[in-house]
Amino acid sequence: MDPLSWTGAPGPWLNPALGVAVLALAGAVVAHALARIFASGAQPITRRAVWVTLGAVALGGLAHLAGALVLAPDDTGIIARISARFWPVWAALGITFALSLALRRRLGLYGHLFENPMGMIGLGLVLFWVFTAIFADLIVPFDPVADVISGMKNKPPGTALRAPEPGQYGYYLLGGDALARDVFSRVVMGARVVLGIAPAATLFAFMVGIVLGVPAGYLGGRIDTALAFVANLVLAFPVILLFFLLVTPEIIAMGVPTYMAAVLFLFPIVFLVILWNARFHTRPVLRAVTVGLTVLVGGWLYLGLAWDADPLGLISIPGGVLIVFVAVVFVNAPTVFRIVRGLTLDIRTRDYVAAAQTRGEGAWYIMLWEILPNARGPLLVDFCLRIGYTTILLGTLGFFGLGLPPDSPDWGSSINAGRGLLQFFPFPPLVPAVAIMSLVLGLNLLADALRQESLRD
Amino acid sequence: MALFILRRLGVMVASMLCMTFIVFALTNLPANLEKLAKTQAGTRMTDAQVQSWLARGGYAQPMLRRYGEWLGVVPGHAGDASAGETAGRCARAAMQAGLDRAPRYCGVLQGNWGYSTKFRAPVGQVIAERLARTGVLMFWAFAVMVPLALVIGVLAGMREGSATDRTLSTVSIASTSTPEYVSGVIFVVVFASSMVGLKWFSGSAKSAVDGITFHNFTLPVATIALYGLGYIARMTRASMAEVMTAQYIRTARLKGVGFRAIVLRHALRNALIAPFTIIMLQFPWLLTGVVIVEELFVYPGFGNALVEGAQNNDIELLMAVSVVAVVVVLITQLISDIGYALLNPRIRVT
Amino acid sequence: MTPAKHGHGPSHPAARLYAQEVQNGQMSRREFLGRATALGVSVPAAYGLIGLDSRAEAASHGMTPRMGGTLRIQMDCRALKDPRTYDWAEMASEARGITEYLVEIHRDGTLHPVLLAGWSANADATEYTLNVRPGVKWNNGDDFTAQDVAANITGWCDASVEGNSMATRMAALVQDGQAAPGAVEVLDPLTVKLRLLTPDGTLMFGMGDYPAAIMHRDKIGTSVADHGIGTGAYMFEQFKVGEKVVLVKNPDHTYWGQAYLDRVEFLDYGTDPSAWLAGADADEFDMTYETVSDFIDIFTSLGWVESQVGTSATVIVRTNQEAEIDGTRPYADVRVRRALALAVDNAIPLELGISGRGIESNNNYQVAPGVHPDHAMIAPHRQNIEEARRLMDEAGMLDFEHELISIDDDYRKNTTDAVAAQLRDAGFKVKRTVMPGSTFWNDWTKYPFSSTNWSHRETGIQTLNLAYRSTAAWNETGFRSDAFDALLNAATAIADNTARQATMAKLEQMMVDEGVAIIPYFRALYRHAKEGLLGAEMHPKYEINIHKLGWA
Repeated sequence: MDPLSWTGAPGPWLNPALGVAVLALAGAVVAHALARIFASGAQPITRRAVWVTLGAVALGGLAHLAGALVLAPDDTGIIARISARFWPVWAALGITFALSLALRRRLGLYGHLFENPMGMIGLGLVLFWVFTAIFADLIVPFDPVADVISGMKNKPPGTALRAPEPGQYGYYLLGGDALARDVFSRVVMGARVVLGIAPAATLFAFMVGIVLGVPAGYLGGRIDTALAFVANLVLAFPVILLFFLLVTPEIIAMGVPTYMAAVLFLFPIVFLVILWNARFHTRPVLRAVTVGLTVLVGGWLYLGLAWDADPLGLISIPGGVLIVFVAVVFVNAPTVFRIVRGLTLDIRTRDYVAAAQTRGEGAWYIMLWEILPNARGPLLVDFCLRIGYTTILLGTLGFFGLGLPPDSPDWGSSINAGRGLLQFFPFPPLVPAVAIMSLVLGLNLLADALRQESLRD
Repeated sequence: MALFILRRLGVMVASMLCMTFIVFALTNLPANLEKLAKTQAGTRMTDAQVQSWLARGGYAQPMLRRYGEWLGVVPGHAGDASAGETAGRCARAAMQAGLDRAPRYCGVLQGNWGYSTKFRAPVGQVIAERLARTGVLMFWAFAVMVPLALVIGVLAGMREGSATDRTLSTVSIASTSTPEYVSGVIFVVVFASSMVGLKWFSGSAKSAVDGITFHNFTLPVATIALYGLGYIARMTRASMAEVMTAQYIRTARLKGVGFRAIVLRHALRNALIAPFTIIMLQFPWLLTGVVIVEELFVYPGFGNALVEGAQNNDIELLMAVSVVAVVVVLITQLISDIGYALLNPRIRVT
Repeated sequence: MTPAKHGHGPSHPAARLYAQEVQNGQMSRREFLGRATALGVSVPAAYGLIGLDSRAEAASHGMTPRMGGTLRIQMDCRALKDPRTYDWAEMASEARGITEYLVEIHRDGTLHPVLLAGWSANADATEYTLNVRPGVKWNNGDDFTAQDVAANITGWCDASVEGNSMATRMAALVQDGQAAPGAVEVLDPLTVKLRLLTPDGTLMFGMGDYPAAIMHRDKIGTSVADHGIGTGAYMFEQFKVGEKVVLVKNPDHTYWGQAYLDRVEFLDYGTDPSAWLAGADADEFDMTYETVSDFIDIFTSLGWVESQVGTSATVIVRTNQEAEIDGTRPYADVRVRRALALAVDNAIPLELGISGRGIESNNNYQVAPGVHPDHAMIAPHRQNIEEARRLMDEAGMLDFEHELISIDDDYRKNTTDAVAAQLRDAGFKVKRTVMPGSTFWNDWTKYPFSSTNWSHRETGIQTLNLAYRSTAAWNETGFRSDAFDALLNAATAIADNTARQATMAKLEQMMVDEGVAIIPYFRALYRHAKEGLLGAEMHPKYEINIHKLGWA
């Protein structure tokens, strides 16, 4: 079989049309910029021109993406085929956006996002990868780890299999990697690994950082000194040294990661218990319910995740992942602690804190319900950024042969595996690199929009 | 203030003690000692040979005692000079100093950092040389990154939502989304490879050891700076944007103070508090970022010493590395705290 | 019968037999040269025995380099130590400009005298006479004599030195961990006599191996980096482990031979080949130590001169029959081991692991066809997934998760990944674990299921003795069979090639039937150098002899 082209049969006429549209868009943007400076009267016209050309470009792009719907299978190119593989994601995205748009007035801060175009783009990017992770099984044409197909090593995108078996997909849509595995399948399945570890690890790091950072900043004194001492100690550990020391098989055999998990995973439960307790201490029934539920569910997760001793046998986490997870939380938590502590130091001098103190509110109430909400802007920004950082950190660990197993399809490992031959076979490292960038970009746009919208409230 | 700094110095010493002890304990686990023996005397030794090698090197003594020796508060293992044994740290110290008799104490407190088993040289010498190289790299990275990041952040944050903001934010977001191991590789491909053919710069910083040139140092510096740039710029922007919406800025604007004056006189100082902390916290992060770049561009600096030390379980080198790391981090934090206090009048150092 | 003298006169009787085999087409020219020179036949004489002129061989090496110049070589710069304990060929190459060898093994497998003027062996290879090269001086002014040679050989035999790998090469001279009494005797200042306890035709190959660097008689057991005493033309100017090693011509020493370059720099670029490429692109060195995998084509496309040599170097994916996992020994069952081997098509690791740069093994035994002179052809390996699944099922191990361990390093990792993928394709459960080099070697013989790289050896019997004898220190398969050991003894005692092949066939078949290991391929090694560099061709044992290098 012949290799696929990027755009398939419609390419010869659609591509030039798209090119013209892109050129027109560029021209319109330049004209609009000039109009803003020199001739403000022409602005409405140039603005319309920008929108029209943008629409044309979007239409052209959409035509490529939707190619698989109208074209005969043999006429479709790589883009249309990839788009077709992603159908569950498109469906889920469509439903989510339609519902959210319809109900946005009733959805609070989340609803406000849909009034912010950059926020919508950010949310779209993040949700795209989230749904990709969820539906990865339906999307991948090949097994990302086991399918090593002869003759497909370092092949360019669209290469046809030499001898596809019946029922097997006929092409490596984004080419093969150095071990003849499908780059497309690996990137899609990699989303599942990355989105399984990075956000959760970041969340845990935040729980630890907040539970320790707010009291440290608010109460000061001995607690602050002691906590800051420990945090600085951990921060002073170069990450690589820490991992080189922690990931040796001997230390794993001694159970150090498990003990670290046992301590670190306790923080979210503690956090929630204190949170509910402070909020509802005047309403005993509600307090009992929320605290009880937290302890029950949290305890169950805790046993499964940290000790691998889930009484129901549902939750378990592989050893290699646990080490990475724990180490990433361990490394991130002190930074979060520093930031939270700094913010608390700043906020506690504000008037509304003084007012709450005069009202006679408890210390935990002030910390969690007065100070914390007011620190959420910078924290949200940092949270979204930090998920991206964690993703990058996972790749950094792969760079030194530490962390996840080597055949793991996660993006960091794939980039590291392919970077040596980037100049000759760019796709195996480039595709996951674009994936990382787009996810982090989405998180940043989302964070920014959330901050703007929360300030507007 | 003097008391505050004194107390912080005390904390630094305590941190160093804790940290070095943790590193010492981890590197002296039996399995890691075995690793050391095998990297030193042959990868394919038998267990009995490992034990005898460790005993001869003085590694068989209790861990606490050897930590004390390293520190210089316990008399050092001199080694039996008559048997030609020179593995004991005091014996080696005596040999280097040309003394007849080994001194009793020869730890860090006496200025003896020990001997690097990987590089076959005194640790003090290795670290000093490597640190100087990394210092040069870090200096240039900071010199490029910080001013650029602050300017981008302030320009973007002062008019939130403007076209300038959107453009600069996109730039900084793109930079934070590009880890060193991606950008470094892309730089090499584009600017240094025969395939693209530009060959403006060198993809290897090995020759920078003998002298830094624009040719061999641009790519490593750019790689480090690019990654840190976006983060600092984002933080500056967030902080700046927040300050610009503050009550006193609005008041000033209502009073008719010019925009430029508001930014420069009122907003900038408060807006720089958060990024100041971030920049200081970037130091330790850079230290690890530097490791990647040094590996990527084959620059034998501090980061390379760390990786080699860890891979070969070079105990005394790792100890020195961790001491240096603690000192750098704690000093930057001290500066960060002092600066924070000076910049924000609402916080008082007690 | 009078023993043959190296460099003159009539040849060793066995060598003449070998020559007959070459004429009959039973032995390759290369095998012949290796075996004949090992028995003390000079290279010209060996070529003469098979009707060739040695000048033809010399001509292929081309011109004589000009005097002077600087050469920069990319290579790991490792710390030196007692040469007997060298565990990396790089160490020997760093020091070869100072500490030389008694003999050297050329690319074609022939032995040549260096610090010896020649040697001879008696008919059954139990007595060797070594003739020391006259006129050689140490760079401290002492004469190089038979005393030095005897002291070094005695030192090699000292098995009590940790990590001394020469003791196994000199095993025929060793008794109770030391040189046997009377085994090494100095006859006169230029002659040493060796009396072997058992016949060994491969002894001289051992003396050409990289840990056999000749030290001054008073400096046995020391590192040359500490005192710099040697017979070579060079001296260290700079020695920075992990960074660079610089050698310059020693101005105070009159070298007995010829050396061309004024200055040689070994530059350490770490283990990542893409860093080497960056260094090459930046014109920071002139020659690679070894170019690997996809980078071979890339260096060639950059206009560098490629040289390659076929070897018996390989990566084996082996089980350890004695390893316990959770109280059981999963690989003690021959059906499990056979199933693993049958699930793998050896062409796939060859393609994915080393881009087809080598030859596929004939079957899963560690004797290289076309390289080892004692290789015997047996029935080739065929992948058979059905049979593999049947055997695994029969052993009740279909649900067992195999943990396959490898080092984190380009071709070894890729080869192991390719094997793992095929095992998964066959429906076996495989978990891959990759360890950094620093931790991998700690327990390399004990892992239940892992891959190991083995370097080149001149004969198949050497490899089998090292890796598969029950008592071998490097026996990593846990394969301990009296029958196999007996066959090994028999094969080692056979001097004649054809006769040994028959026994080798049995050994090979036994390895296959026992499923001892998956041995997919034998590698070719590659090196690249800039145009105009002479003597830089790749060597089967990576040797770099800076005395011979030079610019055209």
